[in-house]
Amino acid sequence: MSLETYGWLVLAFPLAGTILIALTWRLLPARAHGVIGTLAIALSFAASVLAFFELESRGEEERQVVAHGWDYAVANGVDATVSILIDPLSMLMMLVVSGVSMLIHLYSVAYMGGDRGYTRFFAYLNFFVFSMLLLVLAANFFLLIVGWAFVGAASYLLISFWYRRRTATQAGIKAFVINVVGDVGLVLGTYFIFTGTGTLDFLATFEEVGSAFSRNDGDLVAGCLLLLVGAFAKSAQVPLHTWLPDAMEGPTPVSALIHAATMVTAGVYLIARMHPLFELAPAAADVGAILGCATMIIAATIGLVVTDLKRVIAYSTMSQIGYMVMAVSSAAYAAGMFHLMTHAFFKALLFMAAGSVIAAMAGTQDLDRMGGFRKVMPFTYASMVIGGLVLSGVPPFAGFFSKDEIIALMFAHEDWHVVLGVLGYVGSLMTAIYTFRMIFRAFWGDPVPEARELEHGHLYHPEHPTNPATGEIEDTDVGFPGPEHHIAEREGPMKIAMGALAVLAIVGGVVQIPKVNESLHHFLEPTFADSRLYEELEASTTLTWIGLIVGATIALLGIAIAYGLWVRQPDRPRMLQQRFAFLHRVFVNKWYFDEAIELLVVRPMAWLGRFASSTFERAVVDGALVGTTSGLVRLGSAAVRRMQTGYLRYYAALLLMGITSLGAYFLISA
Amino acid sequence: MTIHLSILVFWPLLLAVLGGLVPRGVAPLFAVVGSLVPLGYAVIMLIDFDTAARGLQYVTDDAWIDELGIRYTLGVDGLNLWLVALTALLFAASAMWVALRPPVRAKLFAIHFGIAETAVLGAFLAQDLALFVLFFDLMLVPFYFLLGQWGGPERIAAAVKMVVYTLVGSLLMLAAAVATAVLSSPAGELTFSLAELQQNLLGENTQKLLFAAFALAFLIKMPSFPFHGWMPDAYRNMPLPVLAVFSGVVSKVAAYGFLRIALPLFPEAAADWQLILLIIALLSIVYGSVQAYTQTNLRLILGYSSIAQLGFITLGIFALDPEGRGAQGALLQAVNHGLVVAPLFLIVVLLATRTAGSVDIRDMGGIATRAPVLATLFMIVTLATLAMPGSANFVGEFFILLGVFQSKLAVAIIASTGVVLASVYALRMYIRAMHNRPGPTVTSFDLGMRDAIVLVPLVLVILAFAVYPQLALEAGEPAVQAATDAVTR
Amino acid sequence: MDLTWYLVVSALIFCIGAGGVLVRRNPLVILLCIELMLNAANLALVGFSRAHGNMDGQIFALIVMVVAACEVAIGLGLIVALFRRRLPIDVDELRELQG
Repeated sequence: MSLETYGWLVLAFPLAGTILIALTWRLLPARAHGVIGTLAIALSFAASVLAFFELESRGEEERQVVAHGWDYAVANGVDATVSILIDPLSMLMMLVVSGVSMLIHLYSVAYMGGDRGYTRFFAYLNFFVFSMLLLVLAANFFLLIVGWAFVGAASYLLISFWYRRRTATQAGIKAFVINVVGDVGLVLGTYFIFTGTGTLDFLATFEEVGSAFSRNDGDLVAGCLLLLVGAFAKSAQVPLHTWLPDAMEGPTPVSALIHAATMVTAGVYLIARMHPLFELAPAAADVGAILGCATMIIAATIGLVVTDLKRVIAYSTMSQIGYMVMAVSSAAYAAGMFHLMTHAFFKALLFMAAGSVIAAMAGTQDLDRMGGFRKVMPFTYASMVIGGLVLSGVPPFAGFFSKDEIIALMFAHEDWHVVLGVLGYVGSLMTAIYTFRMIFRAFWGDPVPEARELEHGHLYHPEHPTNPATGEIEDTDVGFPGPEHHIAEREGPMKIAMGALAVLAIVGGVVQIPKVNESLHHFLEPTFADSRLYEELEASTTLTWIGLIVGATIALLGIAIAYGLWVRQPDRPRMLQQRFAFLHRVFVNKWYFDEAIELLVVRPMAWLGRFASSTFERAVVDGALVGTTSGLVRLGSAAVRRMQTGYLRYYAALLLMGITSLGAYFLISA
Repeated sequence: MTIHLSILVFWPLLLAVLGGLVPRGVAPLFAVVGSLVPLGYAVIMLIDFDTAARGLQYVTDDAWIDELGIRYTLGVDGLNLWLVALTALLFAASAMWVALRPPVRAKLFAIHFGIAETAVLGAFLAQDLALFVLFFDLMLVPFYFLLGQWGGPERIAAAVKMVVYTLVGSLLMLAAAVATAVLSSPAGELTFSLAELQQNLLGENTQKLLFAAFALAFLIKMPSFPFHGWMPDAYRNMPLPVLAVFSGVVSKVAAYGFLRIALPLFPEAAADWQLILLIIALLSIVYGSVQAYTQTNLRLILGYSSIAQLGFITLGIFALDPEGRGAQGALLQAVNHGLVVAPLFLIVVLLATRTAGSVDIRDMGGIATRAPVLATLFMIVTLATLAMPGSANFVGEFFILLGVFQSKLAVAIIASTGVVLASVYALRMYIRAMHNRPGPTVTSFDLGMRDAIVLVPLVLVILAFAVYPQLALEAGEPAVQAATDAVTR
Repeated sequence: MDLTWYLVVSALIFCIGAGGVLVRRNPLVILLCIELMLNAANLALVGFSRAHGNMDGQIFALIVMVVAACEVAIGLGLIVALFRRRLPIDVDELRELQG
């Protein structure tokens, strides 16, 4: 089969899975839907792998294939078609997305077992995978926007999965609306570029862009900045990030798949895909790099103080995506994509392990109430530690190579990007600290009651499960994150999925070891063939080695600090907290972004709405407009009102007078 | 010269009158047949329509009132093809809905319903200014009775308000139509034919005045901010199946009127008034969205959201970009909005039956639990309403905003806030109705066969349109181009 | 005889009838006055018919009489109905048209 066919098949399987699950929701038992969903993604992954070999067998020049499906909206000079672009970049994304998705589906088969929305969950999850693949395969801006919005919708549906929890529905609408802001940015950015190039097709755009715009052309920079709005909203970068921590309301596999491994990295993919535009608009790229760096630092500081297990990982995700955005905005494309790939492995692993812990805690995610799970959950603990080591960048795991390559390339720029590199090391230190803070607090220390219960061989079940955020009793009709879920130690599928990811996280780095094996760099070359900087930007051997050594030292130092603070001297954190009370307050309140948005956007809009319905509608629409019109009518009718006496003879007399005068008129005029 | 369009237009009326003469039991059948045949006709027309050809097709042209130069001219082109199909579809769906839940005095109801369909179809198909005005005003009559007799508690006041408002516009339009005909044929024969009127345009100052009269009539009918004073009362009280077609197609007649009449007949005036109409459109978008976000009555949420959506349509029509993208998007959006708003109003009926009759979202919540099919259908329609990319509504919005972007950049950027606001109010509506904790009077159960038979086909049409909107764009392109060319050239 | 005299008499009777309709309040009297007006018209018709030597006018007069008879029947019926329902027999009480 041809490459094009494989490309379509990759898309078709998850969509078919969704439709099949949706149509058979009452015909088949729930478990069957889990199998269907997982199988669909497995087939999609198989098609991706076959497509990969097919692509590899082609010559360097023929590795960008566009498959045209059908005309979608081709009219009035707009060329929006349904067509997919298969090149090394989309290939890499395709493999990562379908591969990780397959493992997470497998995990969910066990983890979500017993949830009341099991069927619905797999329908949504398959739909998400379809959308994500559509996003990465899109060959033009229009289809990209479609995929972009579809993943947003899927993310919304899954965040609000337990839709009777008010916290979940609120988080869902927040995520959706911020994503729509991103969509709008993407659409407007597309307009700027389309106005210049006259085409929506990627490859045609990239060819035209050089002649359509000059370097740092105002329109192009505006367009690229708006594309960044889209990328930032999706990838939870400052200041459009506030939805991601709240999105942890969704089931944990969702956090692993959508809010860590795949969807949130779409922004990184977008910037990499749009590299010809950003290279021609360095001003916009610089903004991207700086904001990426800012996100990396801000998220890491919040990660240091947050006490919700999943939110620690969520802030870590933001922070790591900050690295990637920084990388691809600074022309370190291969490094950024490399980190995207390794991050997908280890972050999914961390979330899966966290899901296992949360299941053991009967839904509680508060680190303050955890501890001592090390002995009773050895497999989970091992997974978490492996994920933590990879995330912290300890050699020789995957994260070590990918993160340090980004930082090394920042230094290789030899301009102000060096500052980003230095901040990258600061972030790296914080990463190691917050990661192991989380691990030490959840797994070390004295066992909490839940852990002790597990020692006796059964999972903890609260009598009345409550929502920790609001304290309201959970609704058992729809489901909630709680005791029905399963821990890795007891479920085969979860173990397989986590084990596979752990292996990938450990050895994933071999595809791109600086100065040793740069196969990823070469693989991606055809996509970035038109990039001026792709080959140029290279760290010298000395720089690379210094970077690796410094990186390793910092990672180990961070772990040591975490050990010192949370294991050796458990009182120290509190002292530090009091010492730096101001900083702590800022971090715990997430730098007051939510409050700022509330004050600047939500309140004015609500006020405007109230003003519109209470004052404006009554005073202007009903009062001034309607009032004036009806007032005039009333005045006019008052004038003629007297004539309507109601006496029959009065009317008859009028009639008679009228006829008489008419007759008189005709007599005289004749 | 064919008789097909005359059959299409007058069939519903004929069947409605016949339905009035038969026993009560079979009367609903007549109403359904009366609306299904035009639907079949419309579908055949969609297939048979020659998208490559310019100009009108299936033209019927007969002398009617010779003394005044009024002719009975009907015709189809890219501008009205899909709107006619939409009208036929929505009336068929609504007639079916009503037939399955007969109201009191069902026969009379059906007669008004048939008149309404004839009037709307006639307004879409008329190619003679006088004929258009006639059908445009005829639309008011059946809806007045449907609202005044079968409406909610304040139906009389609402009906009077609606009639007074729209009559102001209608009378102005009538006067303007007569003036247009008289002034453009100073010596020779009087003519109301659109094609001929287009040949000899008026002076710019006259155009400006007449355009204003037409524009006012259309803006009131839409309704558009700030001429929407009649909307809240009418929407609060009109029976929901009637509201489905009323909101779905009647407002589109106004949008269509801009493209069919106002732009080609008064091109210079359209260019002069462009900015003012764009501002009105922007205000409609923002005002409608903010109101839709504040209201708790589902009927009003949908009403105000319609104001916002029609703001987008007006925006597209007056983008007046050289490629006609804005108008193309507006035309597509007119069809799309009709397609989503009608099922939404029908869903409101279903929601009300699950909350002891209330249409207030504060009384709802948690309905999704035992109603997965209803929840899914509602979700799809909601996402289409907020113009999620991948829906045909997004294609419409994409073209509209692109058109405006290329003619008036700042307007496009302000208008794009409307897209964000749409997602806020649409999702709020969905969540408050279907999600969260159930309200005290909520009983959740899934939709039955008689609901599905109407709703599922409508949703399938939305989905099909989302997959292949090209169909409508292709047919519209030449006609839209012709309409906007008149102004931009 | 000259046509003028017929017409003068006819006009006089018509004016008496019209005046009665306008001035009187009892519906019975109003009905009688309407009859007077009709008969004035009849007189004029017959007069013209004779003057022109054409029989059409007399046929018209006969038709008017038939109509008048019908009208009286309906009018009296209405009055009887009013009387039976003990409503006031006064046309000035019927003033629903008052603005």
